[in-house]
Amino acid sequence: MSGQALVSASAAVATEAPPARPAPPGIDIVFTVNGKRVEATLDPRATLLDTLRETLDLTGTKKGCDHGQCGACTVHVNGRRVNACLSFAVMHDGDTITTIEGLGTPEHLHPMQAAFVAQDGYQCGYCTPGQIMSAAALLSEPCGPANADVAELMSGNICRCGAYQNIVAAVQSVRQRG
Amino acid sequence: MLGQALPRIDGPYKVSGAAKYTSDRRVENMAYAVAVGSTVAAGRIARLDVSKALEVAGVIEVFGRGNIGKLYKPSPEAGMFDEARPPFADDAIRYYGQYVALVVAETFEAATAAAGLVEVSYREAEPNVALDLAPDDEPNEVSQRGDPAAAFDAAPVKIDQNYVTPAETHNPIELHATVAIYDGERFTIYETTQAVTNTRNVLSEILGVPREKVRIIMKFLGSGFGGKLWPWTHGTLAAAAARSLGRPVKLVVTRKQMFEAVGHRARTQQRVRMSAERDGTLTSLQHDAVNAAGMLDEYDENCGEATPYFYGTDNLRVTAAQTRRNIGSPTAMRGPGAVPGLFATESAYDELALALGMDPVALRLHNEPAQDQDLAIPFSSRHYTECLTLGAERFGWSQRTPEVGSMRRDGTILGWGMAGCSWIAARFGAEARVELHADGSARVLTGTQDIGTGTYTILAQYVADATGIPVERVVVEIGDTDLPPGPISGGSMVTASMVPAVLEAVRKAMKSAVGLAAKGDAAPFKGVPADQLVFADGRIGRKDSTAGAVPFADILQAASVAFVSGSGKAEGSFGQEHPKYSLHSYGAQFIEVGWQPEIARLRVHRIVTVVDAGRIINPRMARNQIEGALVMGVGMALFEEAHYDPRSGAPINSNLADYVMATHADAPHMDVTFLDYPDTKLNELGVRGVGEIGLAGVAPAITAAVYHATGARVRVLPVTIEKLLLGP
Amino acid sequence: MNFFSFSRAASVADALRDAGAGAKFVAGGTTLVDLMKLDVETPAVVIDINRLPLAEVGPAPEGGLRIGALARNSDVAHHPAVVRDYPVLAEALLSGASAQLRNMATTGGNLVQRTRCVYFRDTASACNKRVPGSGCAAIGGYNRNLAIVGTSEHCIASHPSDQNVALTALEATVQITGARGDRSVPIGEFYLLPGDTPERETVLEPGEMITSVTLPPPAPGARSTYLKLRDRASYEFALASAAVVATVTNGTLERVRIAMGGIGTKPWRNRDAELALEGKRVSAERFAAAAQIILSGVKPQPGNAFKVELGKRCLVHALKLVTAEA
Repeated sequence: MSGQALVSASAAVATEAPPARPAPPGIDIVFTVNGKRVEATLDPRATLLDTLRETLDLTGTKKGCDHGQCGACTVHVNGRRVNACLSFAVMHDGDTITTIEGLGTPEHLHPMQAAFVAQDGYQCGYCTPGQIMSAAALLSEPCGPANADVAELMSGNICRCGAYQNIVAAVQSVRQRG
Repeated sequence: MLGQALPRIDGPYKVSGAAKYTSDRRVENMAYAVAVGSTVAAGRIARLDVSKALEVAGVIEVFGRGNIGKLYKPSPEAGMFDEARPPFADDAIRYYGQYVALVVAETFEAATAAAGLVEVSYREAEPNVALDLAPDDEPNEVSQRGDPAAAFDAAPVKIDQNYVTPAETHNPIELHATVAIYDGERFTIYETTQAVTNTRNVLSEILGVPREKVRIIMKFLGSGFGGKLWPWTHGTLAAAAARSLGRPVKLVVTRKQMFEAVGHRARTQQRVRMSAERDGTLTSLQHDAVNAAGMLDEYDENCGEATPYFYGTDNLRVTAAQTRRNIGSPTAMRGPGAVPGLFATESAYDELALALGMDPVALRLHNEPAQDQDLAIPFSSRHYTECLTLGAERFGWSQRTPEVGSMRRDGTILGWGMAGCSWIAARFGAEARVELHADGSARVLTGTQDIGTGTYTILAQYVADATGIPVERVVVEIGDTDLPPGPISGGSMVTASMVPAVLEAVRKAMKSAVGLAAKGDAAPFKGVPADQLVFADGRIGRKDSTAGAVPFADILQAASVAFVSGSGKAEGSFGQEHPKYSLHSYGAQFIEVGWQPEIARLRVHRIVTVVDAGRIINPRMARNQIEGALVMGVGMALFEEAHYDPRSGAPINSNLADYVMATHADAPHMDVTFLDYPDTKLNELGVRGVGEIGLAGVAPAITAAVYHATGARVRVLPVTIEKLLLGP
Repeated sequence: MNFFSFSRAASVADALRDAGAGAKFVAGGTTLVDLMKLDVETPAVVIDINRLPLAEVGPAPEGGLRIGALARNSDVAHHPAVVRDYPVLAEALLSGASAQLRNMATTGGNLVQRTRCVYFRDTASACNKRVPGSGCAAIGGYNRNLAIVGTSEHCIASHPSDQNVALTALEATVQITGARGDRSVPIGEFYLLPGDTPERETVLEPGEMITSVTLPPPAPGARSTYLKLRDRASYEFALASAAVVATVTNGTLERVRIAMGGIGTKPWRNRDAELALEGKRVSAERFAAAAQIILSGVKPQPGNAFKVELGKRCLVHALKLVTAEA
């Protein structure tokens, strides 16, 4: 897969623009995204979130606040959940990234995805990929048995629709099935 | 089918990242736009210097007033909009964050960097974001009967209090976004909107092109809560930039901008005067509301929405007024009017009950009206008293001891409070088309939207129920102005609005299929009069016998017809001048809070809600919506307030760490019951809607519970720690 | 965000060599990337130190526990030695941020976490910390979350971390390396008061890097708690917090260490308050008196004056929790 080109200023529009500054150099990176090796040359300013969405067309990962305050961009890096908005993609050389698209597809849902459907663990669905990536990671984290334990560990994912009770039910249904 | 708790048909797409939201759209040759907002709230642009921004590698253009191209004001008939002034129309600044420039670049990173280098200097004026609200003009009389002033003066028991609800922001997790494509003649615009048709109508006038040259598409919305009902200026800017550049433009507003230029719930200040006889009979009610509005556009929050009809009293006066502030225009937010209005009136009710020494449930039951006294018409289907009594029973209200701080569990002081709620029921005009296909599937097409409320699934249920076609074989096409125009997703009205249009369309389509069954050489029921045939359970057969019925798909195939279709259209009932019935939903909220004064910690433990919202089509989705509204109500009551810096006029806590919304850990245990009485005065299925009713009444029930726990009566939301820390 | 040059450090020496003026180390990114997006941090050079071998948590040579600067907050919180010997640190870490952020944020990064003051984070506002001499918009503005102790007329920004409050109560030491060699700084000397130089928050010199934090061996029989008070139940910075580590014998407080968060311009410790408790019988009155020592004579703003009372209740309750059953 080719990287995001760092395009210099287009001359398409006639303005009195001064000559564009030369394009800054990109940074090479090789990482694994949803099981696929990806080589890219990236603008160092590009976050992991924007790179997934705008360069790799993995738009399931959402931008909600861009500052680590909502959790909509949650992905797994080397098996751990993180906010993709708060790291530069070029910091992930050699890392293994899993996004919601890598967890399951509409035809072959991951058990956590299926549980969200069964429990109606969403309304608008926008925070849902982040909720599910958090929930899937939570399965292998230290977490007490109670609903309150799950709620605390899911609190980094804001759901403005407020589907919290159903989301916790979905997580618990997967945990109880083992 | 109707009334079944089916899982959402769009669920697998939402949980897998396959659902395409507006900002997920990527089109060839797309450029990225970032808007620059004013850093003053009042004044004029003195100088806009884009030279440094244009030097940034990857920048294509920087737009300002001089080069954005012609933009028009929409006519009043265009539709609904909160900000009539087109962006960049003049150099005046009327609110913080008002867009002053737009950077377009090859990448998001370049556009963002350049946006930070646009240099704007202002001739600053002192902004007015004052919190105390006094009407700018003579208040508007919303409703009046009897002589409330005289009754108030004469009454033995009375309440006269002021209540304040702050500016709240919608903050759906999906940022407002536009992807605009212009092909030299037509605009195709992906927009985060709760109303594709209205957006098309308004944008076509702003852009100065005929409606048929503008197509709006919105397939998945990351919710809106009213904030995405009417078009905002970013959409205009993206479209104008695409027109100017001849390239598709994607613009996603930032979370900070979500606090500035896409509306918010207006701050309100409400005086409630209420009087009663000693037995609790309400003798008068006066409700005078003021809300803040932007400098240019009218905005009436309509706080008195539910006041005139909710309880019986012979003497009543409701007024509304506005006052101008240097703030972005407010707009409808979930339960506009009723939600802040009921905070005031239901709080006053609780205070009146206290003054009377009466149980607040009993007081409400005592003042149940026989009819809508405002319009002097009967209620279509009102079961408010059952909401109250059943809610009290499910909550265990009879165990309540009324003395402040008298209830405890595990060392925590408990507060029990309750409030009632109501929300309008009406239909918007709607059109729909239904197709029945020779492969046994159906399609339903209408230009409405699913904003997370479940409209995809509801429409599939309607068609599946009418035809007997399995719900998974019903394809729902919505969210596109190329479809028959559908209702806005607002006011809790889509589910009700779609009933007559979809049922008419599906019946016509079924009739067409029945016609095929009897006509033509290959028809299975050749020669049988069509009126002797019936379409049921996906089959067509004789009216008098189910034997020999043929799947409708076979009939279409036999007739070599790919599909049959029907269209339906229904006028709306919203805003009707002389309604025959008073149509509303009702509910009761019973809430327990826990208060630990030793650490000043207040938490909402549990909520019991009983809702009378007509017939429930999908109880799983309906319950979810009510629960979500309750969670939002916890935020409204305890956390949410947009703070405007008094000097700069900036909404200064414009991020999701400082504007506090409820998290998972704040969600109380919720118990939701639907009474499920069909309201057939609204539509033949008796459906009303559940979008807003769950939020109404939550805040006053919480402040009532807070009073019960702490003795502090909080009349200015939210109930932050500092309002409780030092006691009543 | 302006363009910057990016490099990945393969060794500490590598990182220090590149760390000239205008350079920043990035580890978890939860503060730096956040602030770069706001144009509050504008480094010309960003040095990725995530691959450096500084993530280990293990016994310190001089006794106690050594926590590598790159150890992630979640790993530290769940490390058996931390859970066993320094539960106040685990509690503090788990009360902060979210599970995702704790997976990113590092021990060293958290030590230099920047304030959440909304004016610091807004380049259109005056802020002496961000632009020395520009003024303090927080004074007279929205300051509900800001500090009431350690403030100056130039800055009232609150220190946001939970971790550092616990580390202060634990009397941690910060190990620092730089071009001029290595040094260790007790955490009590690591943070600076804003005074008239609020832009200087710690003793770290430009180009220096935190390599680890060491905790002294746990005091025998010590009990501890971290109590955090805030508006919502999770995922929010403290309005007031208290880390208390105390040893109680037969109803008498022997050794007491107290640090408070949310109220100060740095993790707040006042030895006088501890001395007022040491050697004294456990009693609610003495707890209140200790809180009074910390919070008397403070100069809050109208918007955060409630923190005086909130801070007192926080500390008194934390002391009650630690001394209960003891």
